Amino acid sequence: MKITYDHLEHPLKKLLLMFQHIKTMTKKISNFNWKVQALGDHAIQFYLPEKMDPAMIGEIKYFHDFIFSLKLKEIKDIIPSYHTLTLIYDIELMHEPIEFANDLFERYKSQREIDLPNKEVNKIIEVPVCYDENFGIDLISMSTKLNLSINEIIKIHTENIYQVYCLGFMPGFAYMGDVNSKIQIARHPQPRKNVSAGSVGIAGAQTGIYPIHSPGGWQIIGRTPLKIFDKNPAILSKFKMGDAIKFYPITRAEFESLNQNEL
Amino acid sequence: MDTLQDKGRYGFQHIGIPPCGYLDYLSAQLANVIVGNRIEAPIFELHFPASSFIFNEAHTICISGANFVPVLNDKSIALNTPIQVCKNDTLHFMQPLLGKTSYLSIKGNIDSSSWLNSKSDFSSQLKTNDQFNIIAWDGDNKINSDKTEEQESQQCNINEIQKHIFNSNEIRFIPGPQWNDLTNESISTILKQPFNTSLNSNRMGYTLKGPSLQLIEQKSYLSSTVTRGTMQLLPNGEVIVLMANHQTIGGYANIGQIILVDLPKLVQHKSDTPFRFSITNVETAHSEYKQMQKCFS
Repeated sequence: MKITYDHLEHPLKKLLLMFQHIKTMTKKISNFNWKVQALGDHAIQFYLPEKMDPAMIGEIKYFHDFIFSLKLKEIKDIIPSYHTLTLIYDIELMHEPIEFANDLFERYKSQREIDLPNKEVNKIIEVPVCYDENFGIDLISMSTKLNLSINEIIKIHTENIYQVYCLGFMPGFAYMGDVNSKIQIARHPQPRKNVSAGSVGIAGAQTGIYPIHSPGGWQIIGRTPLKIFDKNPAILSKFKMGDAIKFYPITRAEFESLNQNEL
Repeated sequence: MDTLQDKGRYGFQHIGIPPCGYLDYLSAQLANVIVGNRIEAPIFELHFPASSFIFNEAHTICISGANFVPVLNDKSIALNTPIQVCKNDTLHFMQPLLGKTSYLSIKGNIDSSSWLNSKSDFSSQLKTNDQFNIIAWDGDNKINSDKTEEQESQQCNINEIQKHIFNSNEIRFIPGPQWNDLTNESISTILKQPFNTSLNSNRMGYTLKGPSLQLIEQKSYLSSTVTRGTMQLLPNGEVIVLMANHQTIGGYANIGQIILVDLPKLVQHKSDTPFRFSITNVETAHSEYKQMQKCFS
């Protein structure tokens, strides 16, 4: 195990950080260069290179599931994102977070060597979307900006199988990717005050569904009648990290008959 | 905005559910301990202008945290002291004298629906005519009735906690993953210049007023996990400190993390009093957090 400070550049910063024991460790596990750092005084963050890479989802999910299976008393939350896995811990139960992280690395490495990740293909979750212009309130402006017809945008959006990279922003909001570069578009500079529950949006290479009425800046192309987040503890989020999603178009009439969201 | 809070809701951040829980855990724990409750018991969290309360039966209550000049039937009452209230007594809060967030504990368990192992309000707040029953703790959670309130208060070093929260203008943080992306000038600025809290502060985050901070290059970061105390640098140079109802992941530069034991200072800091930032480390943060928790054992 090597403790490195080489990511620090400025001498003042280097001095400050060395003095403050900010440690970064690297561990190569199954072709992934994992690093770990303290995130303040109550979190440990394991991380991979900062990029959106579908190949990393499986690895992060595998590490997540491994740590979850250990049922460690110190850990209150295990939170994945695109390139990180963060553990929120109880300060009173934690002795030395970096040693703790190192120990987890070692246990994970041994596990990873004997147990290959599950190669089974995730069942695809099919999600109906009504791409009516009354729901897809940004379709017309997108059509102009992208120089594509609305039908072409719909066709391209429904062609791909998306993976859920992570959840966040609000309960049940799944960040999915990757969106075909032809229909990638930046989010609105000023978020809308109110986006309806079920709204399907695009932001760069990401697509996602607003689970509840909320403010939001994504470009809205349609609406799903499915309930994406349910407060019932047995249901909660419709999606989880690593899920495979495919959208398919439905008519306004089909939407009305399937709708589970409040209008 | 007044709410019912406990220690928060953990184990669901991976699906985007914020932890919630009290903003100033020290004052909330203090108010609970003084009436003889468990430290993590549900408690009313109040912001000025705060709700008024009418008691339908006799209770032991305590108010801790911000001093909003509590008045029981037109008579001013002390903070951090067990108070006996009778049937039909009314409690009002007159003016925000010190601090920003006040806690009202009631001996016993506040009967309210729990969601995912916590009674912390996530999207709702107290409304006029809301009624709560105070019930006994069940099973192992029974409050220890052998101790008198006086003994409870003695165990807890009230002065030490009050001094820590209200008499300090220094807020300590641990540098975050994007600390190195700050310009050298911004690094000296953050460590030397004063900052203030702003009125643009709520249970999700506190926006700070102060010198504008800059990154070496404006770039966008891939969203990653943020937590209580995360100092996010917005593109306009402002810092926002994430609080209990924070999003679980965020895409702004994470320049630092305020240590948990110092968050109550920020929560209670009024916008007219400047404070300064200083750097600390995990070891110090842990030992001070544990030291402070000893006040409650």
